[in-house]
Amino acid sequence: MTGVNGVIVSADRITRIFPMPAGPVVAVRDVTLQVAPGEHIAIRGPSGCGKSTLLHMLGCVDAPSSGSLVFEGRDIAALDDRARSLLRLRHIGFVFQRFFLLPMLTAAENVELPQAEAGVPARERRRRSLELLEYVGLGARADHRPSQLSGGEMQRVAIARALANRPRLLLADEPTGELDQATGEQVAALLDRVNADGTALVIVTHDPALAGRAGRVLTMRDGRIEGEVRQ
Amino acid sequence: MEAHNRNEPFGLKFSTFLLAALLALTAVSPSAQAPDVPSILVSRQLAAREGLTVGDEMRLATDVRGERSRTFRIAGIYEPTPDPMRLGSVPLSVRMHLPDLLALTRDAAVPAGTEHVEAINVALADPADAETFSRDFNARAPGAFARPTSRATDSATTFVVLERFHAAIAAVTVLAATVFLLALTVMLVDERRETVGVLRLIGLPVRRILLQVLVEGVLVAGLGALFGLLLALGSEGLINRFFQWRYDTALVFVRITPRVALICLAIAVPLGAVATVVASWALLRRGGLRLARR
Repeated sequence: MTGVNGVIVSADRITRIFPMPAGPVVAVRDVTLQVAPGEHIAIRGPSGCGKSTLLHMLGCVDAPSSGSLVFEGRDIAALDDRARSLLRLRHIGFVFQRFFLLPMLTAAENVELPQAEAGVPARERRRRSLELLEYVGLGARADHRPSQLSGGEMQRVAIARALANRPRLLLADEPTGELDQATGEQVAALLDRVNADGTALVIVTHDPALAGRAGRVLTMRDGRIEGEVRQ
Repeated sequence: MEAHNRNEPFGLKFSTFLLAALLALTAVSPSAQAPDVPSILVSRQLAAREGLTVGDEMRLATDVRGERSRTFRIAGIYEPTPDPMRLGSVPLSVRMHLPDLLALTRDAAVPAGTEHVEAINVALADPADAETFSRDFNARAPGAFARPTSRATDSATTFVVLERFHAAIAAVTVLAATVFLLALTVMLVDERRETVGVLRLIGLPVRRILLQVLVEGVLVAGLGALFGLLLALGSEGLINRFFQWRYDTALVFVRITPRVALICLAIAVPLGAVATVVASWALLRRGGLRLARR
């Protein structure tokens, strides 16, 4: 299902204000953005400019203080916690800088987890997990725990987990931030492949090389989108 | 009147009294026995202390000089009914027929039939008859008063006060344990904050996570309560054996009854579950990202 004009997620003048003891902090202000199916968007900008906050709002992890955010035709502000959680579970994949794998589960079990929560039968989710681990080049490491994997391997497992429920939108927050250049290149290539296979991709990054792979590059400063380049 | 829970061989025929202050005791040779020597029962403790066995003859007197002593044959050795009011004093006692007791204790100057006793214990064949018997007795014998000893009629008796004291200690213990449990649960839940954060980011609703921790809480609390009960049942025997040895009594000091076990479960399981949910709820109020980023 897609929203109006085939858009997956549409943000219209969204603002996010964090109330702080020293006074409110405006992290994102009046941002308007649309993500279409299959798009590859990179968001760049200095630290603290609000790019991660914007990404979290696009992924329904956080809610805007004002403005309208519509995901596949559904107004996010009107959804309760359960509905937003289910939306994240079934339609959005997340990749974080720090991987966030569950240490007590194997690679395959980490990939199975979102499917289990989505109600996928055990045999089917096992098959899908192994298929995804093969896809990210870790078929032989399915039974390894995160502590037995390198940083690049953990990030690839995290990407496989993000793809587990076949999301139409994959959000990545500094996915190569904790990796060396060579490993970061491998992960970037993997994300390109995910995008080429039809998943819309929004990446927040400081890395110009990673941003250079995107079709659209948005530059943020002081909570606003300052510029946009289409490549 | 005392309603005994077990049948004793001499039933109502014997009355019991303590020897310690009343009687001087002398074991005699069986060869010197009279043909119609009355029989008595001696307490296990007395038999052990004096080396008495069934069939032995002994002389009892009401004074230490042994004047006006009488000879008795030991017909049996009995375990005295444990009396918590006499804890610490070893029951060196005998049981004998009432006429023998009167013959032994009555002053020669006192005409037969004029002596009196202040209280006697009576064992009923069926202890359940105690209430009926005491009502019937009180109706028939004005001036005498019978009451069952299996229950305390006076709410201020020592053991009621002790029981209340124990209940107060238990309440304070449960309260302190609750605070400790809650603090412990908060720490344990906080250790899992990253896991909970990841689950939230993946898309697990708060309710789903709370349900999971509730189930975990109930299981852990249930297992904890069972472990506590097993520990209590194990230590029950040890405590009883130690104090029975220490005070040479058959008194039961600790007893874990089904009611006690149920109360333990009824308190522990909901408490554990509530502590887990409260701790988790405090954590889940924060966003998934804040939880995942330590």
